Amino acid sequence: MEQKLKGLVEELEAKLSQVKNANDLNLLKAEYLGKKSVFNDLMKQLKDIPNEEKPLMGKLINEAKQQIAAKLDDAKMEMDRKLVEEKLKSEAIDVTLPGKSSNVGSKHLLSQVIEEVEDIFVGLGYTVKEGPEVESDKYNFEMLNLPKDHPARDMQDSLYISEETLLRTHTSPVQVRSLLENTNQEPMKIICPGKVYRKDDDDQTHSHQFTQVEGLVVDANATLADLKGTLLFVAQKLFGEERKIRLRPSYFPFTEPSVEVDVSCYKCGGSGCSMCGYTGWIEILGAGMVNNNVLRDAGYDPDKFQGFALGMGIERIAILKYGVDDIRAFYTNDLRFNKQFRGK
Amino acid sequence: MKVSMNWLKEYVNLDPDYKKLEEAFNLKSQEVAGLEKLVDIEGLVVGYVLTCEKHPEADKLHVTTVDVSDEVLQIICGAPNVAAGQKVIVSKVGVVLPGDFKIKKAKIRGIESNGMICSLEELGVKEFDPEETGIYVLGEDAVIGEDPLKYLNLDDSVLELDLTANRPDLLSMEGVGYDAACMLDLEIQTKKHTYEKRKEENNFSVYTDTKDCKAYYAQVIDHITVKPSPSWLKARLMAAGVRPINNVVDISNYVMLEYGQPLHAFDYNRIESDTIIVRHAKTGEKIVTLDGQNRDLLEYDLVITDGKKPIALAGVMGGYDTEVEPDTTKVLLESAYFDPTCIRKTSRRLDLKSEASSRFEKGVDPNKLIKAMEYATQLFVELAGGEVVGDYSFFDNTQKDPTRIDITLEKLNSVTGHTFTISEVESILKRLYFDYHKQGDLFKIDVPTRRQNFYGYQDIVEEIVRIYGYDRIPTTIPATPTTGYLTKKQRLRRTIREYFVNNNFNETITYSLVTQKEAVEFDQLTADTVVIMNPLNKEKDTLRHSLLPSLLNILQYNQSRKIDNIFLFELGRGYHNGYEREWLSGLMTGVYTSTLWQGKKEVSDFYLLKGLLESLLVKLHLEDYEIKKASEPLPTMHPGMTADLYINKQYIGYLGKLHPQKEMDLGINKTFVFELDYDKLAELYEPNLVMQPVPKYPSVSRDLALVVDRDLEAQAIIDQVIFAGKKTLKDVSIFDLYQGDKIEPDKKSIALSLVLQNPEKTLESSEVDQIIERILKHLDKTLNAKIR
Repeated sequence: MEQKLKGLVEELEAKLSQVKNANDLNLLKAEYLGKKSVFNDLMKQLKDIPNEEKPLMGKLINEAKQQIAAKLDDAKMEMDRKLVEEKLKSEAIDVTLPGKSSNVGSKHLLSQVIEEVEDIFVGLGYTVKEGPEVESDKYNFEMLNLPKDHPARDMQDSLYISEETLLRTHTSPVQVRSLLENTNQEPMKIICPGKVYRKDDDDQTHSHQFTQVEGLVVDANATLADLKGTLLFVAQKLFGEERKIRLRPSYFPFTEPSVEVDVSCYKCGGSGCSMCGYTGWIEILGAGMVNNNVLRDAGYDPDKFQGFALGMGIERIAILKYGVDDIRAFYTNDLRFNKQFRGK
Repeated sequence: MKVSMNWLKEYVNLDPDYKKLEEAFNLKSQEVAGLEKLVDIEGLVVGYVLTCEKHPEADKLHVTTVDVSDEVLQIICGAPNVAAGQKVIVSKVGVVLPGDFKIKKAKIRGIESNGMICSLEELGVKEFDPEETGIYVLGEDAVIGEDPLKYLNLDDSVLELDLTANRPDLLSMEGVGYDAACMLDLEIQTKKHTYEKRKEENNFSVYTDTKDCKAYYAQVIDHITVKPSPSWLKARLMAAGVRPINNVVDISNYVMLEYGQPLHAFDYNRIESDTIIVRHAKTGEKIVTLDGQNRDLLEYDLVITDGKKPIALAGVMGGYDTEVEPDTTKVLLESAYFDPTCIRKTSRRLDLKSEASSRFEKGVDPNKLIKAMEYATQLFVELAGGEVVGDYSFFDNTQKDPTRIDITLEKLNSVTGHTFTISEVESILKRLYFDYHKQGDLFKIDVPTRRQNFYGYQDIVEEIVRIYGYDRIPTTIPATPTTGYLTKKQRLRRTIREYFVNNNFNETITYSLVTQKEAVEFDQLTADTVVIMNPLNKEKDTLRHSLLPSLLNILQYNQSRKIDNIFLFELGRGYHNGYEREWLSGLMTGVYTSTLWQGKKEVSDFYLLKGLLESLLVKLHLEDYEIKKASEPLPTMHPGMTADLYINKQYIGYLGKLHPQKEMDLGINKTFVFELDYDKLAELYEPNLVMQPVPKYPSVSRDLALVVDRDLEAQAIIDQVIFAGKKTLKDVSIFDLYQGDKIEPDKKSIALSLVLQNPEKTLESSEVDQIIERILKHLDKTLNAKIR
């Protein structure tokens, strides 16, 4: 019996070496482990064996059966492994062939800068206000302490539609409208981004259309120091945490005092280079404390309210941040320019 | 304002290193545009021409020997006026003249030349003496070997200030002196002027009938000689950027620069009366101004008249008929105060902006009217040999008192956010030369009239802070409790931008101003254009209604630069009478995506664009939309390939192919465009989402192939399937379209894929069959659709 079982195992090994495909292997499995297999016969023969030998013989048969089952399993695994290997070989590709070109689009650089500025101010608790671009003389000038025939109107040569309407020359009229809309005179922190227009011939540094973001804070006690702190925060967010700012006196009819704001040069760190004209500083925006006439005209009592305003040119920020050398590039929309700035 | 350093030194004791002054102006006053030497040449010397012989080889050249104190130089000179015995300006070898012209040792026609004898032109100061031709000959008193620029008073430096409109006080040297003294904490030296006058009755009289001339002073000066000014005066004017003319004109200009008060000199003998009347012009009146132009006057113009006719345009320009000529011997000197707005209106209308008008229109100091006139009178005596004829005639209704402004220390501190002390404020007020009285922490400040435009405490805050220094103000963040957020409409813009950018599109921003024709092309609303009254040019004189003409221009621009695959979008406004509308517009042309080596490419077409827009609507949860054949497509659109978009039954815009004629006109490839009303889109955008349970039971798919009439729109079939499918139908899509020989010529075959699902239980196949049967019956009945 023992010999016979050993022979069975050897016989299987010989047959396994001849197996060519999965079907052969299945047939072999049926032959040895199926319902009509040799083991079935052996188990039947077991009843003719003396009782005291039965346990031993039964054990031997089972061991042989397990051995054969294990060998069949190994053979199956080996066969699968080979199949997968062949599949891998046949499916290998040239990964250096080009992928499906899906030309990535681009967000306009001015939109990117506006969104960046909006995010900075929203984080500081500002809301974003918008208003018409065709504006009345009253909101664009008169309510901003710029009566008709004010010499400072020369600073802003305007494109007029009629005597009383024009293309807004700054987004300040949105501030006026916002003050007027705020009928409960709640504390207010807003920014006003948008297109503005001046009567300037287009050249490398001038554009008849450009983009501004102006900010306005009005409440009982917004101070010049608050303005300075806000400007420092914004400058650092836009140009880097290492930046310092410098305020210089200036003049805008709607603020008093008025200042120009310089940021320490982000290229040389303030030691002086060609970028900053060897001064260490770059002018980025104008600001000031809201002129009492503006508050008064908007129905605010200057004894109870004060505030500050600031205004920056988005093109200027983009020119400085991205080294754009011609303001017209923003409006030409040469895709070789636009596509360089794909957005964050 | 160009500030001569030599001149400023008469007011304040300046440090010779002007950098400190420059920095003070930059940080505390006005931006410095430049600090430069008036004549930027190092190493010029006064030379004495010892000998002067004709060059043996050249007719027009002279060989000279020139004593320059430490040596005698042989110099070849080409000027015809060179002669022995002259004192001249010598550039020795090594000196660099303007234009980067370096003087070198040279041999000219065989004879050595060791330098150059200079003309004024070569020094870049021709206007110092325009009469001079050839080399400039210095006076006898010039010292050999010394700096000729010093001798000519041209050894000056000029600080150029970019003035803001609120600082007319800096349009005068005295004002600059006050500001410099204040910033640098120095004493100011002001000037006094005296002269002798002939004791005789002055029978000249001045009047006005308008409030717009608040003061008028007239001084008659006799026996003057018109001639060139002395070099110190010419040098000062040149430093200030004013061209010297003759002593009469130069004196007026000089005194204006000193005190900011414009003056005018009339030729007395050409005034046809002994009366000056200042009044507004009358309709139809004219005047010929100094520049020879005949000007039509309007009623708001102020004129100086001789009682009958205008002889000058007040504050703007003198009259031709009373101009001072070389033979003038008697002048009437005018010092006046004209209304700033009046002057501004006239000078703007006539486009006549002068040094005088720009001072008058910002408001001159009424306390300088007399002082300026007295100084000019003194100079007429000294520099033109004039005799002063009695007292001046005048009227004067100007306000000469200082402006009183009150401010408390508390106010100052609450506005600035900085804690100033009483003594800091006092010290700054003293440096400003502002008188004040202190009552506790209240300052009652008298602002002198030289500082115009002071209205309230904010003006005082401005002065104190700038002198104290902005760098010393602390930095804090407002305590104002507000919340920051973007509105729904503002966030949607960002979502849409991201969507298009992630789908190959490039965002553009284009000009709102276009041509009249472009303004109304692709117009979906009304043709009421908004036109600019004073346009830059015809290309940009009208506000646009649609963004598409601008986008097509950009397409054309890029296509002509060999970029063929172009996908653009823009969010921007259209402008109508009384309202503005924001559009979301775009276009696509060329290959959208490709892997060419696999033979795959997707080219822009109607359905690609439609799919992109549909996906956007799905993203925005605006799924209740319809895209229908355009009922009235714009004439610029292809009538068979244009569709209207409706959301919640509201018209939003259109998409489609450009009209082939339009493409031909523009010379562009097949282009698909869209323009949607962003305002409406944002209004409809209301993503109020509530979770829907994920279905527990499986769905079943069935495909149907139907034969229908060829001109039946696919949407009609889908609509009927949805109708008949009722609740169980979850989705229906078209996966094949066939028209060809295998079916009748007037028919087409459409293959639909249906998804059915019952949320309550698993659908039995018999139920599915029932539903499909119902749908097919319905389609047959309504659309005559047969199963294929």
